[in-house]
Amino acid sequence: MTRLLLIEDDSETAEEITAELADCGFEVEWAANGIEGLDKARSLRPDAMIVDRLLPGMDGLTVIEALRKDQVRTPVLVLSALGAVDDRVRGLRMGGDDYLTKPFAFVELIARIEALLRRPVESRETTLRAGPLELDLIARTVKRGDREIDLLPREFRLLEYMMQRSDQVLTRAMLLEEVWNYKFVPATNLVDVHMGRLRHKVDGPSDMPLIHNVRGAGFILRTGP
Amino acid sequence: MRPPQFIHSTTFHWALAVAGVLAIFVTTLFGFIYWKTDSYLIARSDMVIAGELNIIAAVPEERRLYSVDQHLKEDSRNVQYAGLFDSDGRRVGGNLEQLPPGLKTDSSVQSVSITRMLPTGKETRVIRAIARRTPSGQMVVIGREVDEARKISHVVGLALALGLVPGFCLCLLAGAWLSMRAQGRVEEVNLRVQRIIAGDLRERLPHRSVDEPFSKLAIIVNGMLDEMETMINALAGVGNDIAHDLRTPLTRARLALERGRTNATTLEQLQGVVDRSILGIDQALTIVTALLRLAEIENSRRSAAFGCVALHDMLGEVRDIYEPIAENKDIALRVAATNNLTVRGDRDLLIEAIANLIDNAIKFTPEGGRVDLELLRVEGETIVRVTDTGCGISEQERDAVQRRFYRSDKIRNTPGVGLGLNLVTAIVKLHDFRLAIFPGPGCRVEIICPDTQELKVSGKDTASAREPYAMADSPKAAMVAAAKSI
Repeated sequence: MTRLLLIEDDSETAEEITAELADCGFEVEWAANGIEGLDKARSLRPDAMIVDRLLPGMDGLTVIEALRKDQVRTPVLVLSALGAVDDRVRGLRMGGDDYLTKPFAFVELIARIEALLRRPVESRETTLRAGPLELDLIARTVKRGDREIDLLPREFRLLEYMMQRSDQVLTRAMLLEEVWNYKFVPATNLVDVHMGRLRHKVDGPSDMPLIHNVRGAGFILRTGP
Repeated sequence: MRPPQFIHSTTFHWALAVAGVLAIFVTTLFGFIYWKTDSYLIARSDMVIAGELNIIAAVPEERRLYSVDQHLKEDSRNVQYAGLFDSDGRRVGGNLEQLPPGLKTDSSVQSVSITRMLPTGKETRVIRAIARRTPSGQMVVIGREVDEARKISHVVGLALALGLVPGFCLCLLAGAWLSMRAQGRVEEVNLRVQRIIAGDLRERLPHRSVDEPFSKLAIIVNGMLDEMETMINALAGVGNDIAHDLRTPLTRARLALERGRTNATTLEQLQGVVDRSILGIDQALTIVTALLRLAEIENSRRSAAFGCVALHDMLGEVRDIYEPIAENKDIALRVAATNNLTVRGDRDLLIEAIANLIDNAIKFTPEGGRVDLELLRVEGETIVRVTDTGCGISEQERDAVQRRFYRSDKIRNTPGVGLGLNLVTAIVKLHDFRLAIFPGPGCRVEIICPDTQELKVSGKDTASAREPYAMADSPKAAMVAAAKSI
């Protein structure tokens, strides 16, 4: 069972998050302040951590910094009410792996935790494979079975990202951050439009659909049935 | 008894100091005039004495006694002295008892103490005198009293001293009057300022003629108050707008929840209600996020991390992102960026600004329309121009669209928060660029990037100080005029 450590000072928020994560099949340990959190992170060896930024005693970023100094590489999701670009950049620079601004939707939290737990391994592989899809990073070509798929650069980048994280829910915010490098949320729902085009190219009329909408959350590239 | 308040005022202290300086000045002047008059009168009397000696010495010896007597007879004021002595120093004639001791022969005029023979007796006093030995051996002595000169000097001094007293008093009175007047003005200003502090933002300081320093100050402060009143009102307006815009989705969510709680009978119904509520809350959150983002940009300074941004590539990127969206709405998105122009700036912010403009253009252009994104070079300025064939922005609305939450009645039914153009304005301002909106059948918005930004930064203060005062009738103009003439 995957074990998560949640460091969050507000007990009500912590309770809700714990319950939701438990429903998703995680085992959750809760620490109410930075010092306790650091102790638990060292003793329990969790698979991933969710750390609130503003904590009594020792703030979240200091906890992460201390862990990184000890060569603890546990993936960390930083939670914060500070949503400015600068805050985000600082959070990631101090050793956080992802940054989520409060308030957030549970789907967003779960999707990001899943993404952290299943981070693609650094590989020398120049070809990505997911189900019937084959993507050549050097030649920049995509094939579905024998069919060549012609993609625009941005669509290629989008599909590459989705194939690296197949069978994971990817939220719109994640895609905007990672594929479009957007540091802001555009007014129009860009992601849906671009995803629509990509899906149209990847899933032909007679093919079994690979790209799926996850209601209220985002998208998923399903390789299995 | 408590001393009157003006005694503590600086004006009065200054008046006191001036009066003191005046007293010192007058006393010094008095001393100088006294000394000058005195020496002048003595010098004149010495000249007379020497002249008379010359005359008497030139008279032949047998008539000398007679001329000495004559000389004394002509002196009606009893100030003249004359003496004739033989070679042994015995008195021959004149009103001197003996040769004055200490009187040097054949020298210049000097002060000596003498004894005078008067009909009433002898009298000793100090006079100015001169003595000469004639070729025959006789001694001639001529003298003159100088007490008269002293008296004249004394009168002059007295007159000056008498003038000093009223002058001193006048100084003090003027000081007291000025300080009381200033105190009165301060009281008056204080009264008004207290009213402003109490919340009456329309109150202004009193002022009379423009040439008076107090009035000039009042005009300057009034100008500042005008500005602040406008700003505070604008701020209050923004606050109201925010409250209103947040309340709308929150009210929807609240109503949905309340009705759902009583009316929902199945799980599906309840879920529907909850979904609608979450939507309302998300909408409110979107507004909060947009406002925070706006504040973040408005409060950030020109960053040292500004770099060279290739607009050509950026426009290409914006096209890649928005082309599918435009196509979905059957709008032709055309990008014309032939020359590769660069500006100094924050790449992420600039792309956000341009994306916002394109987003707006696509949103407000009806199906089958056209949106053009151009990169131009006009008169040393780099221009990013977005043109659409939408409903456009009327002249009356041009300023309003840059206000927060402003949404034209024409677009009431298009979704949006109404902060997009504010964001663009803030980003453009941060870069020292300009945003220009042109009306037309559609709308044309331009981000104008002047070339010499480095120069502009250093000259920014003067430029920004000059620009808003273009309106001559504004209180600001009066304020500046007053400030300059002080």
